[in-house]
Amino acid sequence: MTDFLQNLISGIAVGCIYALAALGFVLIYKSSRVINFANGQLIAIGAFTAYALAVWMGLPVLLAALLALLLTALLGFVVERVFLRRLVGQPIISVIMVTIGLASVLDGLMYLTPFGSGNFTFPPFLPPGGLNLGGLNISYPQLLAIGFTVVFLLMFGWFFQRSVLGIAMRAVADDQMASMSLGVSVEKVFALAWAIAGLTAAAAGIVVGMVSGLNQDSLIAIGLAVFPAVILGGLDSVPGAVVGGIIIGVLQSFSTAYLDPLLTQVGLVGGGSQYAMPFVVLLIMLWFKPHGLFGTEEIERV
Amino acid sequence: MKRAMVLGIFLVLGLVLAQGRTVTLLWSGAITGPTSDVGGPYAAGIEDYCRYANEQRLIPGVTLNCIVRDDQYQNPNTQRILEEALDRSRPAIYLGYSTGAMLQLKPLINEVRLPTIPASAHIGLIDPPNHQYFFLPVSSYSEQVVALMEYINRTERNARIALVVNPSPFGRAVVDHARRAAQRLGQTIVDVREVGGGNLDNTALLRALDAAGVQYIIHQNVAGPVANILKDAKRLGLDRKIKQMGAVYTGGSDLLRLAGDAAEGYLWASSYYTLDENTPGINLQKQLAARYNRSADILNSTNYTAGMLAAAIAVEAMRRAAQRFNGRIDNETVYQSIIGMNGPNAFRPGFAVSTKAGIEIDFTRSEQTGAEGLRVLEVRGGKFVPITEPFTSALFRQVRNP
Repeated sequence: MTDFLQNLISGIAVGCIYALAALGFVLIYKSSRVINFANGQLIAIGAFTAYALAVWMGLPVLLAALLALLLTALLGFVVERVFLRRLVGQPIISVIMVTIGLASVLDGLMYLTPFGSGNFTFPPFLPPGGLNLGGLNISYPQLLAIGFTVVFLLMFGWFFQRSVLGIAMRAVADDQMASMSLGVSVEKVFALAWAIAGLTAAAAGIVVGMVSGLNQDSLIAIGLAVFPAVILGGLDSVPGAVVGGIIIGVLQSFSTAYLDPLLTQVGLVGGGSQYAMPFVVLLIMLWFKPHGLFGTEEIERV
Repeated sequence: MKRAMVLGIFLVLGLVLAQGRTVTLLWSGAITGPTSDVGGPYAAGIEDYCRYANEQRLIPGVTLNCIVRDDQYQNPNTQRILEEALDRSRPAIYLGYSTGAMLQLKPLINEVRLPTIPASAHIGLIDPPNHQYFFLPVSSYSEQVVALMEYINRTERNARIALVVNPSPFGRAVVDHARRAAQRLGQTIVDVREVGGGNLDNTALLRALDAAGVQYIIHQNVAGPVANILKDAKRLGLDRKIKQMGAVYTGGSDLLRLAGDAAEGYLWASSYYTLDENTPGINLQKQLAARYNRSADILNSTNYTAGMLAAAIAVEAMRRAAQRFNGRIDNETVYQSIIGMNGPNAFRPGFAVSTKAGIEIDFTRSEQTGAEGLRVLEVRGGKFVPITEPFTSALFRQVRNP
């Protein structure tokens, strides 16, 4: 039972990191119906910005992290202003292609920095080890991930349900033309969505950096590895991103703990079922709920 | 006017002859993309040794044209880079990189008879078929893992071992040989798990291995995933129950930096000298890193040493080819020089440990591993410290060709 609970907690902690990374996808999709393929690059930039501020400029890690969140949010804002602003009202595929191009450009630019290849770690600022609750163990960076996720979930929940800007973002996502005719600034909404996506991406990057170190390739990979979580939860649902992330995290933990040993016994050596299981479950899930667990089901009258 | 033209032609010809010939050496590997934490310093090692070789005129009358390309760990890129180089600059020797690409390129390399020194130490590269032109600078991944198993056997009989490997041909390279070695040593390979980069939590893995009675984990991976597993093992208190160790790219300064205290006690099989040791190769490494303004991270990386060793073997083979074949340096003469690099002609650059016979790097037509000696090192006080004398795995040759 202890093993089961431990695996569950570890899965939830990893799931929260996925959720943070997934939030960036959801926020942009929610406001503009665009899937941002540069999400992984924003994650990496956020993490490396925090590292640069902490190590090169000697700032305390928490202050560096806070500044990195703001700077990455600013980057998201600038990206929207420079690259995407002109595409308002254009076919979605054009915008998606721009995000793919953007991912490539940001990749290339990062390789020109000292972070291009190599492993880096934040200066230690959390106590070593982790929290032990009746034999169940969780590391401090993982606790931080859970904390970040809860804060962001509450913040965005309130933002989209209660604030005028949040409601405007939902309206824009629903119908850009109708929103514009009602005086909603679609451009501002898009810019805000990208800025917030930058913020969550940086949060995810910083947490990943604290958990497993900073490596450009791994950070970018996390950005795309959360696709199953996003789609499972529903592309336009903030709670869905969190639930989807946690389901995928727990699924991976359980498949490593219980499925891999069975696979070994039947001669399928190598384990690694954690990499396949999210996609297997996603396929099954989408069979029954094509819009994901919490995604908006669009009904068109003919 | 005619006289001026003739004079001009002679002048140009004279300048060309004075400058000597240019011979190409090609490397392509992951400077960016997956495993670039290995490939980046490896490339730097090759670049720096090439610059040094040209500055010191290590090959008299010859300027090295070192082509260093980034293939991003993508096999199609590697293939394109090699084919392009074969068409345009006809390299005399090829320093390759990833296991997957090298295995894919085996037939082509054999067809064009291009001596190749890969960064990958997959034993399949020097196993038939199409293996003739491959030369591993140091002992293979499999040999290093088997050596670690032999080391375990010195103190623990019938040990229960898990292999944690990279999810790639590089990681899987060792599994079959480790199984065969375990049978002969009376050990049990309890489980084989694949773990890639970005492994955010290894609790389930470690608990499952602990529940299965695993006493030792042998890693065949890069430093990042190994460091995460070490940190999680320490957090779970399993570092006292399960001893962890690994081959080639698992250790070095990256592991120390990433794992911190959790690296204490980690064992590493390595053929290379450490930066603390006073050998000609390591001293050259320090000197070149300073001369070419390399960062401390690059200088401290064992992959920088590895890149330099590969380049040093290539340059030495070219030098010997020029000496032995009247200045002719091409793939054929370089191949002949490499397979003659043995006995009194063995190469001693001082990057890798020597075997008991005092040989550092030697090759023959049938023995295509350069440094056959290795040591087991342990992390003590934040440093890798050798805890064995250099040795060669006795069992590996039996399990390689059972």
